[in-house]
Amino acid sequence: MSKQDPTRLEKIWKAFRGHPIAIAGLIGITFFLLVAFFAPLLAPQNPYDQTQLDILDGLLPPMSQLGTGQTSWLGTDALGRDILSAVMYGLRISLFVSFVAVIVGSGLGVFLGLLAAMKRGWVETVIMRSVDLKMSFPGILLALMLLAMFGTGVDKVIYALIIGAWASKARLVRSVALSEMKKEYIDAARLAGIGNLRIMLRFLLPNSISPVLVVLPMAISGAITAEATLSFLGVGVPITEPSLGLLIANGNDYLLSGKWWISIFPGLVLVAMVLCINVVADRIRDHANPYLRGKE
Amino acid sequence: MTQSETKSVDQTAGPQSLMKVSDLTIAYPMEEGEIFRALKKLSIDIAPGQIVGIVGESGAGKSTIGKASLGLLDDNAIIETGSVTLDGAVISGLLEEGYDAIRGKKIGYIYQNPMTALNPVLTIGEQLIEAIEANTEKRGDDARDYAISLLEKAEVPYAEDRLSKYPHQLSGGLCQRIVFAIAISAKPDLIIADEPTTALDVTVQKAVLETLRSLAKQDNIAIILITHDMSVVANMCDYVYVLRYGELVEHGPTRQILTEPKEDYSRELMASIPRIDHYVERFAVPGLGNVKDRTRALAYLMEHKTDQTIPKGEPLLKVRNISKTFVSEAGIFTSASPFKALDDVSFDVYSGETLGIVGESGSGKSTIGRIILGLHESDPGHEILYKGRNIAELTSRKDRLAHCMSLQCIFQDPYSSLNPRMSAGNNITYALQSNGLLSGSAARELAGDLLELVGLSRSDASKMPHAFSGGERQRIGIARALSFRPDFIFCDEPTSALDVTVQAELLNLLKDLQDELGLTMLFVSHDLAVVRQMCDRVLVMKSGKVMEAGPCAEVLTTPKDDYTKSLLDAMPRIVFE
Repeated sequence: MSKQDPTRLEKIWKAFRGHPIAIAGLIGITFFLLVAFFAPLLAPQNPYDQTQLDILDGLLPPMSQLGTGQTSWLGTDALGRDILSAVMYGLRISLFVSFVAVIVGSGLGVFLGLLAAMKRGWVETVIMRSVDLKMSFPGILLALMLLAMFGTGVDKVIYALIIGAWASKARLVRSVALSEMKKEYIDAARLAGIGNLRIMLRFLLPNSISPVLVVLPMAISGAITAEATLSFLGVGVPITEPSLGLLIANGNDYLLSGKWWISIFPGLVLVAMVLCINVVADRIRDHANPYLRGKE
Repeated sequence: MTQSETKSVDQTAGPQSLMKVSDLTIAYPMEEGEIFRALKKLSIDIAPGQIVGIVGESGAGKSTIGKASLGLLDDNAIIETGSVTLDGAVISGLLEEGYDAIRGKKIGYIYQNPMTALNPVLTIGEQLIEAIEANTEKRGDDARDYAISLLEKAEVPYAEDRLSKYPHQLSGGLCQRIVFAIAISAKPDLIIADEPTTALDVTVQKAVLETLRSLAKQDNIAIILITHDMSVVANMCDYVYVLRYGELVEHGPTRQILTEPKEDYSRELMASIPRIDHYVERFAVPGLGNVKDRTRALAYLMEHKTDQTIPKGEPLLKVRNISKTFVSEAGIFTSASPFKALDDVSFDVYSGETLGIVGESGSGKSTIGRIILGLHESDPGHEILYKGRNIAELTSRKDRLAHCMSLQCIFQDPYSSLNPRMSAGNNITYALQSNGLLSGSAARELAGDLLELVGLSRSDASKMPHAFSGGERQRIGIARALSFRPDFIFCDEPTSALDVTVQAELLNLLKDLQDELGLTMLFVSHDLAVVRQMCDRVLVMKSGKVMEAGPCAEVLTTPKDDYTKSLLDAMPRIVFE
């Protein structure tokens, strides 16, 4: 092979080249991530800081003048909180919760899946039957039950989402790892006296992880919506740290009285965010599918 | 191209020619604008009723010829120059409908693996009758009677009963005969057979090829036989084309090509074929350089040679009464059924020798090795002594690790035996490093030395496995096995997935290494000729039992056991009377 192997960045670029919608999604995700990360610098006001809020500014429509002289681009809610700032901070919470939950949950699932494939026997039975048990609950019902037990709070929501995320990854990884286990390089590792943990991490994991990486973006958008649903139902994040779901719920009461901006803007951001992630996830999935790749 | 071009008559095709491939170049556009040409300006001529062999190693473009003739090329393939003509009409590059009158009716196709070529959910009868109705005027009972007659022609016993059977109920050999019956159902002028016996055991290969030959002779059907196996060519073909990298190397009557090849490559190809009738010290192929010259790796490997612990005359490995029963899990409606893969096998392997184990698939030959290596548990009541110690008594971690390292394995499938996510160098030395026996810099040094020892270059250490060919991967596998300074290597069909010239190189390498290092080997193979070249003694196995054992030269020339005789008889040979 005279040619150099493409770098990781080149590989990623190859997956997106010639797919404008996916590139737009990627730009969208980058935009939302930057906004979420730099929210304290970008937002006109800090929606958690009670001293910055003025009840007299309450329920102003978009483009109104606030008491401080600032313009509120997207209007304010009943407490006089600027919707634009609230959405930026809400994005932060939504993304933080879902990223942490999906990454920790998937990691746990991958580990259990690999363990099941390596150990077989009763270990596999216990793990896979727990997966079946978890999968037999409707996701949102399970999360509601767990939050009813734990109580509410950002960390509690993360726990509930982790419990929602691990099972499908465990099942996915196990099926790939089982076929990898039959390959001769695993036998070769055994013959070389390499310990089980090292076989799992250096041999089995890198060769079984790809399908999980492909479904990961989809899992993140799923977690964002799940978190929004829980918050909307009032069992999610506390009122002091409003996520997008909670902002939508706050405006819900005013929706019929013509004060549409309180719910609609966080809702639009939520939809745009999930849409961006999903088009990117679709592209990654199609790119990873060798049958579709030939047809491009 | 349009369909109207089918009617344009190619003037160059004489009356003698049935199919003519002229100047055919087929290109596949690759990534980054590169173009891969599977065939380069290839010309082939087939007369009616002629059996033509197309031989070459993987990547030679053999199968592309058959695909181009039937319009089965991948969508992105481009016919750059030339054409394929049948009876004077161009048949390459037609539209899909253009092939309706050709596929099955004029050209039949026989696939490599009969088990996947037949539809598993339809009975043999349904598939045969479907083909008959598609390509002939026969319908209903007529079609059924014709199906039975076809099966009888293809020498399928109990033809009528087989119609109601499903493919999985029949053996591979029978399935291939059924594929033959489908292929001849419309009395085509030409059959393209793409490696028709590669998926079959040797013992059935010969009979299946006989059937194909007699079918062709009866109906004056021409055959293009695509194969990598020279002995198949020797027994079947009238005329041979030798291909390499999509180009024609040499062509001529079979006898001339096989006995007096003119081109270097054909000569090399012939010299690589292991012969059962005479033993060669080394195959006459351009080697990988001399192992003796690579002193650094040899010095490393010889450093801890201390197997003087075994008294003279005692075997290095003593295997007594091993049996292995696999029990299939009980289903809802079926009870657990035991299957005896090995039945009371005992043998000795002496230091420095190579013991061969031959047998057909399912004879339990690989299972023996896996039990010795500790990858399978054997049934109780056995004893395996290695260097005089019972391996069941090795309990301390240190003893087990030393034992592991002393017994190594060269695996069958080079494509799955390396960790695809580790560089070649790491594949070789990771285990030593992870067991704390080697520092990082020493490991890199050793990986480079070992790669040179097996004929690769030092810089290959940083490449990933996918950058190597099958033969190169197998050599990395050998380097990995050697890194442990083993005394005993179990070779599990190490060359069965490789091309014949690559096999010859690899077998030469193994012999060199054995001479230099005094390795003891257990060599499992289904290929008697390879065993003849590699082994001092041989065990012949069938259904988990040892049928015959003895010195290789004796057993494979004057066998006593009937089964060994039948194996030897079935072996395709390159012999001209």
